[in-house]
Amino acid sequence: MTEVPKIVYDRLRAAPPEQALPDQALQDEVAPQRAHPDADLLTAFAEQALTATERDGVLAHLALCDDCRDIVSLALPAADLVPTPIAIETDASRATASRTPAPRRSGFAWPSLRWAALAAAVVVAASVLVVRSGRRDHATLLSKVVPQVAATAAPNLTQPSASSMNQLANATVNQPATVAPTDEAKLMYELPSPKKLKAGKAPSLPIQGRSVTALLDTQNASGQTATLSAAGSAPAPLPNSPAMDATTAGARIMGRSSEAVEVSSEAVAVEATPSADDTLVARNDALPIEKAKPAPQESGANAVQMAESQKAALQTNSAVVGAASPAVAGRNVTSLVALTPASRQAPAVTWMITAGVLQRSLDGGQTWQNASHSDHPLLCYASYNADVWTGGQAGALFHSIDSGITWEQVRPSIKAQALSSDVTHIDLHGPAEIMVSTSNNEIWASVDGGKTWAKK
Amino acid sequence: MLKPPQSGEGADVAAPLYARSGAAAYGVTAEQFTAILDEILRKYRSQSSAKSSVQSPAQSPARASAEHEAAFCAGLRLEELALARACAAGNERAWQDFISRYRQKLHSMALHITRDAAHAAELADSLFADLYGVNVRDGVRNSKLMFYTGRGSLEGWLRTVMAQEFINRYRKQKRTVSLEEKTEEGVQFAAAVPAPVYASDQRLEAATDEALAELSSEDRFTLASYYLDERTLAEIARTLGLHESSVSRRLDRLATGLRRRILAGLRTRGMSHAQAAEALETDVRDLRLSLRSRLTQDSSATTFPDSRKVPAQDTSDGSG
Repeated sequence: MTEVPKIVYDRLRAAPPEQALPDQALQDEVAPQRAHPDADLLTAFAEQALTATERDGVLAHLALCDDCRDIVSLALPAADLVPTPIAIETDASRATASRTPAPRRSGFAWPSLRWAALAAAVVVAASVLVVRSGRRDHATLLSKVVPQVAATAAPNLTQPSASSMNQLANATVNQPATVAPTDEAKLMYELPSPKKLKAGKAPSLPIQGRSVTALLDTQNASGQTATLSAAGSAPAPLPNSPAMDATTAGARIMGRSSEAVEVSSEAVAVEATPSADDTLVARNDALPIEKAKPAPQESGANAVQMAESQKAALQTNSAVVGAASPAVAGRNVTSLVALTPASRQAPAVTWMITAGVLQRSLDGGQTWQNASHSDHPLLCYASYNADVWTGGQAGALFHSIDSGITWEQVRPSIKAQALSSDVTHIDLHGPAEIMVSTSNNEIWASVDGGKTWAKK
Repeated sequence: MLKPPQSGEGADVAAPLYARSGAAAYGVTAEQFTAILDEILRKYRSQSSAKSSVQSPAQSPARASAEHEAAFCAGLRLEELALARACAAGNERAWQDFISRYRQKLHSMALHITRDAAHAAELADSLFADLYGVNVRDGVRNSKLMFYTGRGSLEGWLRTVMAQEFINRYRKQKRTVSLEEKTEEGVQFAAAVPAPVYASDQRLEAATDEALAELSSEDRFTLASYYLDERTLAEIARTLGLHESSVSRRLDRLATGLRRRILAGLRTRGMSHAQAAEALETDVRDLRLSLRSRLTQDSSATTFPDSRKVPAQDTSDGSG
């Protein structure tokens, strides 16, 4: 690079904006240069979104104002600074290419709720058919359907009437990794029996969005559910449907008949599962496989129909289908299981770092829980569906493949060198490609999900 | 009522924009939205008229500007504008959306800007408070989001606002630091040195100023960014929307051009070609020479920071 004479540095520096400019040629432009351009203009300038005239004005100011130059420079997007825009190597260009379609975590979006409403309506209709056609062996049917529903809902928020069940659900939620399939049996065993429900004890369905502290806190969702189940049951020809009373404010559904309880709990299951992590969803699907066989023909047939319609309708939110219909359908489990991988597309988990602690929200940012425990303050994170990476001071780097339920510390190293400085930025390009930037401008990259690392 | 005062078709213009922005979902009425667009238009009209009146006073203020304004509005980030203004107005859903979209980004931005966890948290939190509008004035929350006008992306705006806040907050610190740096480079001494010694410098300065003044703003910006701020070519290229190699070429061109212009300027000020070249080349060395002589003259009285400068000049002497 050609050097400029020192005098040029000197004179460049010696002309702060408030100083009268010596030359006549610049006099015209003095006025606009005086005031610092506002953030809008600077942003639009950096994003090349200004008209030519405006751009000239901003440039004229920037040329003389080192503060504003600093601002523009600081405000350059961080991600783009790491690989230079003209990086020729394929790795980097692939990285930039794959950065753009990064999924936006948008919490609980309205479109998905609409589908959930549809799903809830279908579930209501189906369950009515189930209940009606199986009225002769009502008890048997209920004994099959209700535990399944309850089991599906177990990791979620609702349990009919028994407060002990809430605790149990909490326990399940808190240690989902340790709940083996055998525990499910115990879970169901402790469910209130269908007879109890049928006896008309006015079992209530407290939707405990607030009290469930772990993974499945969907306060938002539960409020919607109350509305949904109320709306869904109103047109349904349930014998006791008037008894069902849903108050959205309290988010509490009172069901006087077993049918109503059943319907609403299903609706809740429908609503709550999308926010469940993948392992839970998978387990919900696996469970009814065993239970499927004794299910009556009619319900099976209905379920097929239902599954078909939902399959078509619920591409974005197929977790809803996957979790809800096995409870009713049973038979059609195979096709439903096939659907569940799509549920990975719709993570409802939002992340944030506050005071060095990684926090997780499952309801689009309304409530937050601590999601990690690290000795060092965490500084950054990146997530790709259920895959979450977080890094912090002194080379702390953690990885979770289950939306933050379990964490594994990753210690990248090459030969004698190990990652030891503060991790300031993490880029995830897909589940396996990770780029970690550090405070001393090291870049560690892995293309195999963190097993091996390369330092750039 | 997008009111270009001369035409009544504003509402027709605003309606599709309103639909596009999705502002209705955040409880912003069409009237409010048009008012926002109006306000933005007024802001930029007054700004641009200040400039354009100088260049093209003949620009017709009527139809052309109405069309121009419609195009201008259509070019805004309407969706993000709606979100920002709805947040400023206190709409709950807008806030939820804003938080889920930007809250975590704010923190990583702050970290990127401050490069320090403690400062980052402080900066992000204070900006968030500003955005939320903690201080209530006349019963109305005073949210910083009111100032977003949709020219650039909302995310970019947030970054810029944060950078501004950072600069404002740490300006004092930064000033002290940079002053020290300047002193260490020895550049400050150019002004401190008594004038008679540098009689020729007056002409040199004038010639340099003239040469710099002839540069376009963009060129001057490039020079300042590279030589003063020590930005990388990549950063400058990104800011200007150019390729890195064009910035490099431009800097080369500027350096040679400047040298030529200064020399020419010196000659018009009465120097011969050789004298001018010498003045330009020896200027810095002159400074150092005189500095060294000054330092050696009263070396007994030299304070510690002064003595530190001697090796610094020696090294740069070798390079230049």
